Amino acid sequence: MTLAFTNADWNAIAPIDILAAAGLVVLLADLFAGRKQWRYVSIGIGLLGVLIAAIVAGGQFGHEYDAFFGGFMTGGFATVFEEIVLIGTAGSLVLYSTIGPAPRVAGTVAIMLWSACGAMLMAGAANLIAIFLGLELLSLGLYALCAAVDRKTARESALKYLILSSTATAFLLFGAALLFGATGSVMLADLLNPSLASSPLFWMGAGMFLIGLVFKLSLVPFHTWTPDVFEGAPLPVTAFMSVVTKTGALAVFARFTYAALPAGVAAKLLLPVWIVAAISMIVGNVGMLAQTDLKRLLAYSGIAQIGYIVVALAGGTPLGLRYAIYYLTAYAFMNLGAFAVAAAIAGPDDEEGSRLSSYRGLARRRPWLAAAMTIFLLALSGLPPTAGFLGKILILAVTVANGYIWLAAALIAGTAISLYAYAKVVRAMYAPEEGLHGGDLRPFVPLAWAGAALCAVAVIAMAFYPLTPSNVLPLVR
Amino acid sequence: MPLVLVSILLPLVAGALLLMLPRSDRALSRLLGTVAAAISFVTVLVGGTQDWSVHWLSRPFVSAFHFGATPISFWIALLLTLCTTCAIAATRVERMRDFVALLLALEGTMLGLFLSRDLLVFALFWDLMLVPVFFALVGWGEHPATAWRYFIYNFAGGLTLLLATAAFGVIYGTTDVIGLPGVALVGGWAPWIFAGFAFAFLVKTPVWPLHTWMPPTYAGLPSPMTSVVSGVQSKAGLYGFLVIATAMMPGVLYRYATPLIVLALISLVYGALIALVQNDVKRIVAYSSLSHLGLIVLAIASGNRLALAGALVYIIAHGLFSAVLFLLLGYVEEREETRALPRLGGLGWSNPRLSGALCIAALAALGLPGLAGFAGELLILIGVYQSGYVWPAIVALVAIVLASAYMLRLYQGIMNGPARTDLPVRPDLTWIEGLAVVPLLAALVLLGVYPKPLLDNVAITTVQGVSRP
Repeated sequence: MTLAFTNADWNAIAPIDILAAAGLVVLLADLFAGRKQWRYVSIGIGLLGVLIAAIVAGGQFGHEYDAFFGGFMTGGFATVFEEIVLIGTAGSLVLYSTIGPAPRVAGTVAIMLWSACGAMLMAGAANLIAIFLGLELLSLGLYALCAAVDRKTARESALKYLILSSTATAFLLFGAALLFGATGSVMLADLLNPSLASSPLFWMGAGMFLIGLVFKLSLVPFHTWTPDVFEGAPLPVTAFMSVVTKTGALAVFARFTYAALPAGVAAKLLLPVWIVAAISMIVGNVGMLAQTDLKRLLAYSGIAQIGYIVVALAGGTPLGLRYAIYYLTAYAFMNLGAFAVAAAIAGPDDEEGSRLSSYRGLARRRPWLAAAMTIFLLALSGLPPTAGFLGKILILAVTVANGYIWLAAALIAGTAISLYAYAKVVRAMYAPEEGLHGGDLRPFVPLAWAGAALCAVAVIAMAFYPLTPSNVLPLVR
Repeated sequence: MPLVLVSILLPLVAGALLLMLPRSDRALSRLLGTVAAAISFVTVLVGGTQDWSVHWLSRPFVSAFHFGATPISFWIALLLTLCTTCAIAATRVERMRDFVALLLALEGTMLGLFLSRDLLVFALFWDLMLVPVFFALVGWGEHPATAWRYFIYNFAGGLTLLLATAAFGVIYGTTDVIGLPGVALVGGWAPWIFAGFAFAFLVKTPVWPLHTWMPPTYAGLPSPMTSVVSGVQSKAGLYGFLVIATAMMPGVLYRYATPLIVLALISLVYGALIALVQNDVKRIVAYSSLSHLGLIVLAIASGNRLALAGALVYIIAHGLFSAVLFLLLGYVEEREETRALPRLGGLGWSNPRLSGALCIAALAALGLPGLAGFAGELLILIGVYQSGYVWPAIVALVAIVLASAYMLRLYQGIMNGPARTDLPVRPDLTWIEGLAVVPLLAALVLLGVYPKPLLDNVAITTVQGVSRP
């Protein structure tokens, strides 16, 4: 047997290659910058790379192909997740236009692009090695990115993330090793063997594998690192982690639960995950109530939001996966938009944009930014006329239809709690404040404003044109 | 573009456009707002019953942006647009432009609610109509806690409504059902779905013990907004009972009628008793609303044909007189700079026109024959008695008698007695202020002496179609 890769194999990972090359170009271009501040050039090249990768990936949609002997699958499912990763990357890159004292951002932009490559690899990974490769590529970049600001909290954030994330990776890797021991194969498809249900190795391996994933998704009880890491990291990195990391982990989780579990096993093995998701929706939303920092608030909010998405997967129906993807896309736009607003009012020190107190009276100073932020917060709390509202009702419907009424009840309870936390920010922006000095306006930042505007339009448009990709299944043939 | 869509979009667009005006254009923004609301009254009158629909979802259940007034909601939509027109004309607050824009947004979202023929769209507008009121409470309210109480209570209701809608859609396959005859949900799920809807409706109406958000909200909002919220938004719950709970789950409603009747009676009596001893004039009317709306819930739960017809008449009548009462109390508060009954008095000497208007409104609220409240109350009492609920009918009668006591106390406390001497002479109603309340008062008198258009309407047949067999 000859192990030769064909052109089709290389074409399958072309979007990833393009993104990686864009990172290199960013670094090369920076060599010619001299003493000039080439912030926008770095970001521009990065965005161009993302755009080309998105077009190439979009061209693969509907042409399903198992590259590298089934190790990397493109076509439906993977393409959709790749596009979400690219949206998240673009939304995070534009934030660098304002944030950070450094005149140059080439290094960080390049690392972020390479991290995104890891997430895209996870989106299509269909064997255990590719999953691990993607996860490590994603995480290694993030450790550096978290520490890329000269600030004590940033170093703390990076160290915390390094230690805790490595622990999770260890779980995942050990689980993968046990799964390999049970089947003798690294392919996810080989786990579908029904005789595995009697193998203790398989149960232990799958359990540890899931623990690692749940950690990356930052569901309760593996969520405690999230607020601290989010708070300390620079704003663009926080945005990146809140969208791209979770998208990658969710892609692996969805593929694992839909395509790699024998029929009888899934219900038993995944029940703890659904319980964990239900608890996350409550704990995440309760945790939001006391926060005074936007990044921490959105960290807790993310814990709950990912809970909603995981709930949609309960029952393992194709419709559930579609709605999970719909909500994930909506979540990406809501979060990126909120971070774009934070960047627009932040100035070079991103601490300011993340303090909730700096949103007081924003409606007077910057009415358009306040309006956009209101849309994102309404969407996060599930109010109309936003994609958050429609996403919630779709998830509720599919959860009820699958017979998980208790998960629907937890979702409702969590949403009710979350309202207070989101509306608190809205109230701060619109409440008439006495004695506010009007002169502390940040200069107009075109990229951040454009990002916020695009996200706001997307969040509202998605409510009226609920596009959900229909051919994300089958994941494994 | 069909008129029914125009009537929903017009206030929303006009509200957004108002924000382009300079902040200082107070009179102009009020004038434009009034005109926009008046036009939407005309469009509802002319084209409210048109049917317009565009596809929205096909999975997991069929749903459409489907608008068009049902015979019942046609009247409520007219009431809404009339109330909003008057309320905007009567507005005089800080940051006028923003406030008028919020009132228009409230009108548009509520028109969307009442005109929607799809449950999911109904749920969408149900949540959406909370937002303008929340912003008004944040920007103009008296106490920050009020905004939270209003929003969290009503949003919790909105969430159970959402869950019930999702469950309904999954089981029935479509949510495009409002106003369709012959939609009936049966089976083990029906009571739970009914409970989800009923909770939202009971919070919104409100009914004891879910009413605690209501008095501070009605008292804390500026009077024009209160008049729309109390006059029309509170009817969203009752409308929901009539077209969703009663029409689609009649078996469930009438099986669980007893707890509903108990809650309605407690609201009736409790509201009336509190109104008797309250000193804040806006809270008196707020608690009287609790009492009056309890009467309508009683009528709906009894399921009698006459009582349901009376409920429809009384929904309109209560909307009119509570809207005009709150507007007039706003005028009183502007003149006397207080809402405390012990500190008010003698305003009638210097303000005969205001006094006369308040007199008509108070008499309508206590159910004087010849004004719109009477026909509704009478029909409800007869209907409830006929349906075999003798004791509830008697309790309701007693509570209605109490209404005379607290309404007269309100009127006398403000208008009669020695005039206050600590304030300069207060001018009577200006022509704009007068013009703002005249349409509502005229409607009260007109429907009082000639309620035939309401009672003669297909609405009554529709209502009676869902009565207890």
